[in-house]
Amino acid sequence: MSAKYVLIVDDDPDLVETVSMILESKGYEVGKAYDGIEGGEAIKKRRPDALVLDVMMPRKNGYQLCKELKADQATRGIPVVLLTAVGEAVPTTTYSHAEGMAVEAEDFIPKPVDAATLVEAVERLL
Amino acid sequence: METSDRIRIGGLKILEGGACVVSSSPLGANCLSADICAPLAQKKINLTFFTHLSGDRQVMCTADEVGETAFTLVKSRAAPGTELRLQRGTAVISVYPHDKGPEIMGTFIRSLARARVVLHGLASSPSAISVVLSARREKAVVEQLFEHFHFPAFASPQEFFEAQLPPEELVQQVVATYQEKVIKVYWILPQPDLDLWGATISSTAILEGFAHALIDMGKLGLKIPFIVANPGLGGRDFLLSFSTLKAASQGDQGPEVRRILQWHLPEIRPMRLTPVAGIFFHGPHFGDRYGVVYTFLQSLARVRVSLLALSCTVSSVSAVLKQQELEAAVQVLQKTFAAPSPGAPRPFGRPGGGAGGPRP
Repeated sequence: MSAKYVLIVDDDPDLVETVSMILESKGYEVGKAYDGIEGGEAIKKRRPDALVLDVMMPRKNGYQLCKELKADQATRGIPVVLLTAVGEAVPTTTYSHAEGMAVEAEDFIPKPVDAATLVEAVERLL
Repeated sequence: METSDRIRIGGLKILEGGACVVSSSPLGANCLSADICAPLAQKKINLTFFTHLSGDRQVMCTADEVGETAFTLVKSRAAPGTELRLQRGTAVISVYPHDKGPEIMGTFIRSLARARVVLHGLASSPSAISVVLSARREKAVVEQLFEHFHFPAFASPQEFFEAQLPPEELVQQVVATYQEKVIKVYWILPQPDLDLWGATISSTAILEGFAHALIDMGKLGLKIPFIVANPGLGGRDFLLSFSTLKAASQGDQGPEVRRILQWHLPEIRPMRLTPVAGIFFHGPHFGDRYGVVYTFLQSLARVRVSLLALSCTVSSVSAVLKQQELEAAVQVLQKTFAAPSPGAPRPFGRPGGGAGGPRP
């Protein structure tokens, strides 16, 4: 059986590297994109089995991309894990869990990412 | 150049509006004491780029508006005999991911040569390779990068520049102000069994011979997880340092690396230190936050670990140290920072997921 394909979209290249190492070490095939627009293009080329999506990104943020995917019949079934920098460490952020829930993401993981939590979240969705 | 001839790469970032402090200390001075970063952290000055090579030189970049303050603060803590220079109007250009591939690094440096830049500093993070240069050369560099790389998000340099947000909008987007009592990190990744290579080299030789040497090293299947080049005060001779990691199946490739260096750079005398270890350390918005590297250096000083080389760029801190000090370093960093339990990501270049690093 071929490996499940997970696409990571984040504008922090070092984070993309780290998350891809984690998922590859668990046997997933990993695709990488570095902003919301590139992420959308990558999904058109190859539909991922799951999407790990950062919220704060230039050009198109994670909420916008998630909203577009969920509004499109062809892509609404792709499970999305949002990586959100909200919570006690970032009291001044304008992003919120409520906004994430409104765009129908399947799961949220606060940054910094804990490997076990991320792998668990992806496995739960696949 | 046709798209098919270019190397496909993920992305390109430019950090404009910078200033750069280059310092050169007399050999043997403890110039990487955490003290040197302390006043910058106290004044909440973020280092957007910071490199150090053992016993001698450092490059520190800040936002342009605080460049003079940073220069004064560094000068106030510098060891006697240290020479300093402030360069304003700099930019940091990074491409990613390099996948530790020397051929990508070599092609990046070759693009800089063709854009006729004067290097103020060069460094890698786990995913990116970055250069500090005068902002005036930025357009020429981007044009050259598009000649050698294919960036899927942008069809042309014009498209890339049109997509860049004005700096004030960028600042508005980075609204997250991290206020943890203990700094959180994604990973502290130890990497034992590296070779560290060092040489004094002219800037012309970096841009030409060293770029070609890297491309040849890529053909050997070597991985380069760390690279730093720091200029001397005249900007002519550089201290160059890079580490190599062999694939698990390969034997000692040191003689072959030396042969390639001597073929392309007959005038240099490369030194090899082996084995050494790397620590790769990465957290949220580390590129935008002050005080992270100060806390890092302070914690290592507590256990008397001294670094052979250091680079901070993009959102990571990468350090090279003596192999026997790796365990103490990882332990103190685990205690100082809020890090997830170690073990998930495998060290670079270890096929099959074998864990090569210590597990404190």
